[in-house]
Amino acid sequence: MASLSPPEEATASYHHRHSKRYSSSSSNGVESSVSDFVKRPKISAPNSISSSEIESEFSHHDPAFARINNGSFGCCPSSILALQRNWQLQFLRQPDRFYFDELKPNISESRSVIKRLINAEHDDEVSIVDNATTAAAIVLQQTAWAFREGRFEKGDAVVMLHYAYGSVKKSVEAYVTRSGGHVIEVQLPFPVISADEIINRFRNGLESGKANGRRVRLALIDHVTSMPSVVIPIKELVKICRLEGVDQVFVDAAHGIGCVDVDMKEIGADFYTSNLHKWFFAPPSVAFLYCRKSSNGVATDLHHPVVSNEYGNGLAIESSWVGTRDYSAQLVVPSILEFVNRFEGGIDGIKKRNHECVVEMGEMLVKSWGTQLGCPPEMCASMIMVGLPVCLGVSSDSDVQKLRTLLREKFSIEIPIYFRPPGDGEIDPITGYVRISFQVYNKPADYHRLRDAIKELVRDGFKCTSLSD
Amino acid sequence: MEADDRRNGDSTSHNLRASKKPRLAGILTESDIRSEFAHHQTGVARINNGSFGCCPGSVLEAQREWQLRYLRQPDEFYFNGLRPGLLASRTVISDLINADDVEEVSLVDNATTAAAIVLQKVGRCFSEGKYKKEDTVVMFHCAFQSVKKSIQAYVSRVGGSTVEVRLPFPVNSNEEIISAFREGLEKGRANGRTVRLAIIDHITSMPCVLLPVRDLVKICREEGVEQVFVDAAHAIGSVKVDVKEIGADYYVSNLHKWFFCPPSIAFFYCKKRSSESDVHHPVVSHEFGNGLPTESAWIGTRDYSSQLVVPSVMEFVNRFEGGIEGIMNRNHDEAVRMGLMLANAWGTNLGSPPEMCVGMVMIGLPSKLCVESDEDATKLRSYLRGHYSVEVPVYFLGLRDGEEGVKDKGSGLITAYVRISHQIYNKTEDYERLRDAIIELVKDQITCQNLPSM
Repeated sequence: MASLSPPEEATASYHHRHSKRYSSSSSNGVESSVSDFVKRPKISAPNSISSSEIESEFSHHDPAFARINNGSFGCCPSSILALQRNWQLQFLRQPDRFYFDELKPNISESRSVIKRLINAEHDDEVSIVDNATTAAAIVLQQTAWAFREGRFEKGDAVVMLHYAYGSVKKSVEAYVTRSGGHVIEVQLPFPVISADEIINRFRNGLESGKANGRRVRLALIDHVTSMPSVVIPIKELVKICRLEGVDQVFVDAAHGIGCVDVDMKEIGADFYTSNLHKWFFAPPSVAFLYCRKSSNGVATDLHHPVVSNEYGNGLAIESSWVGTRDYSAQLVVPSILEFVNRFEGGIDGIKKRNHECVVEMGEMLVKSWGTQLGCPPEMCASMIMVGLPVCLGVSSDSDVQKLRTLLREKFSIEIPIYFRPPGDGEIDPITGYVRISFQVYNKPADYHRLRDAIKELVRDGFKCTSLSD
Repeated sequence: MEADDRRNGDSTSHNLRASKKPRLAGILTESDIRSEFAHHQTGVARINNGSFGCCPGSVLEAQREWQLRYLRQPDEFYFNGLRPGLLASRTVISDLINADDVEEVSLVDNATTAAAIVLQKVGRCFSEGKYKKEDTVVMFHCAFQSVKKSIQAYVSRVGGSTVEVRLPFPVNSNEEIISAFREGLEKGRANGRTVRLAIIDHITSMPCVLLPVRDLVKICREEGVEQVFVDAAHAIGSVKVDVKEIGADYYVSNLHKWFFCPPSIAFFYCKKRSSESDVHHPVVSHEFGNGLPTESAWIGTRDYSSQLVVPSVMEFVNRFEGGIEGIMNRNHDEAVRMGLMLANAWGTNLGSPPEMCVGMVMIGLPSKLCVESDEDATKLRSYLRGHYSVEVPVYFLGLRDGEEGVKDKGSGLITAYVRISHQIYNKTEDYERLRDAIIELVKDQITCQNLPSM
């Protein structure tokens, strides 16, 4: 499996060169020349994937769509899908033999690969589950048991971000609140100016968690928030948690691997989960849950909620068998490394280019619409929030849902939109932000279409109030 | 067809189904069936449909179309395609099982998941003081191991106690089972305790017996058992399933075992009650609190395609004479016929009378094989797989003190049984291969203690 060295200056990837040229394109409404990703001659390192190969890998994507929402559901190249199908067929061919001889060793192999990727200490620390939602249930169930069994006092706190993912909030309600925990949501500013804002708000949030002699038993922190999307200064927050005596830190990095740097030792959390189907090209669905081994072994009270005959054999083993199911998405993980290593710089190269391109596209849109980004470029990874023109009159969550549907149905653009309620005293604030993603299959034309669609709506005097229910 | 329209969404989406799937008319021939299961490994006598089931090529094809639709434009699929597709599957199932309301039917991965749902709820009732410590959960001793572990994880942990009813085996009549169960319920009620949950298999796994589930549920009602959970992992496609007739509070069955779905999908029936039922999917999503069917329809990003092909499976089974009922009856008759053939050839017995079998039958192994433990049974199974290309699970019958046991023709004690399955892809030769393998082992005086290593 050839691992490519970073490009020399002289042979900079065509992405880099493109971005240099692109920044000079005008924003005065004149159509700049259409995406040249495909057409420009490239100088590529040996074994690097060509743009036509990339197109072919994603030829199953609906060609009519400007698919600029990789963040929600991710993507999977056809060569990985083909390998997944092989695994599925192996099971169907002779399922008993597969169960007895093939399944467990190959799940172990996937776990080993992930462990190396994320710089975990032991394979034991890595469990594979369906998605971050499942991982959240596992960690929160453990917290619930501690409340129920009196290890935590009723009223002890669990602190999370106000922007925590909706499903995670419900999981906290179902497991923590129900078993007697007190939940504190830390409000974060948006738009965000700097990491310090977040750090300060979080520190204050921990303080209120500790008020009245309570302990903060769990801090649940996103690595990259979903909506609105911002990269959280996670290392600093984990440090603060340690200083402030928080029992456990759980990092929800649904947008983790393939999006930001995921180094377990550096980050230092007790639990860390990331989906692989979002930014790591896995088929739906597969995620890992990292559980730091403490000095006396991995937390023994962690269990997969779907209990099988493997109960009690450790979370990783429990998760490797939750009844008869299709485990193929979990089995292709080793093959994904081969895919990403066909790109210059491997996954790190992909991350870097995605980041540069999404910032570039974001700034292009901002210039065109006269709005702003939701955060500084260094606080985003491969997704960025871009303000929508105020005149569109976005005024509710329902507005953004309907506007999103309009963009999908009328313009074949797929983009999630965030409603940012106006703050007190704000005059004509931007209340709608699109979250654009950039992944290897994206092209500037995708974002031009969004740019032009919004401009058309503005030109036509469109208002969200006109959208019917 | 209506299901197609719902599945394909609006008129602008590709009608993938019509363009790709060959329209085969009429009853499936032998060679059609062979072709539908061409992906099964050839040369293997695959007589263990009960463990992992099977899925015909045309249903796999339908599944692939769903997968591709999602991959093509996942957002659009999530907003427009997924829930209607799941509702179509749930509606087919609801009709099949005679539920009152499709809202009583949720789709989950497998019976193991349903058990976790029920037992988490029971666990909460203990934790929150609704049930007294030591109140009981009653189940059969041969309940599926995952279910037992789930009870340990959620019920025993919070102080609930369990009573295991020993299933008489080999068994000769329903009455034997009913009286054993009654005794179990009495134990569960002893010392002023309440039986909060009875878990009854519709078809036990190992050893495999069709239980008189309707009678057992009635007894539960008569004896004041609070709730009844029927674990019917094997039922749908094996035996007629009428949830109203059976009358349980919870009923789960896998569709990937005997109902031709790809791995994996189960339906979980929860009888509607006037009060809040407090059952939740353990993987909590933003749909939490919207009812179990809705919670289960979204447990995070996943491949839901196996849950979407149920209408396609109905089309498949309706290409057989008598539809699914015809398939069930023929599987039963063939399994029994093959079972009797094997019992005669080996001089042994069936584990239960034909009317207490479905498409699976337990047949005693010759005592000369000396199966003396679970490990022996596993070794023998591996040997049959590796040496004879026969896939069949082996059950070790640990006799308790005082139990007499059944003897084979050679007057040796029968300590082990094979569980043969018959599904539409099976042939007589599959069972003849098993027959001859066992006969050869006995002739060569091979026992579990001297099995050649693989």
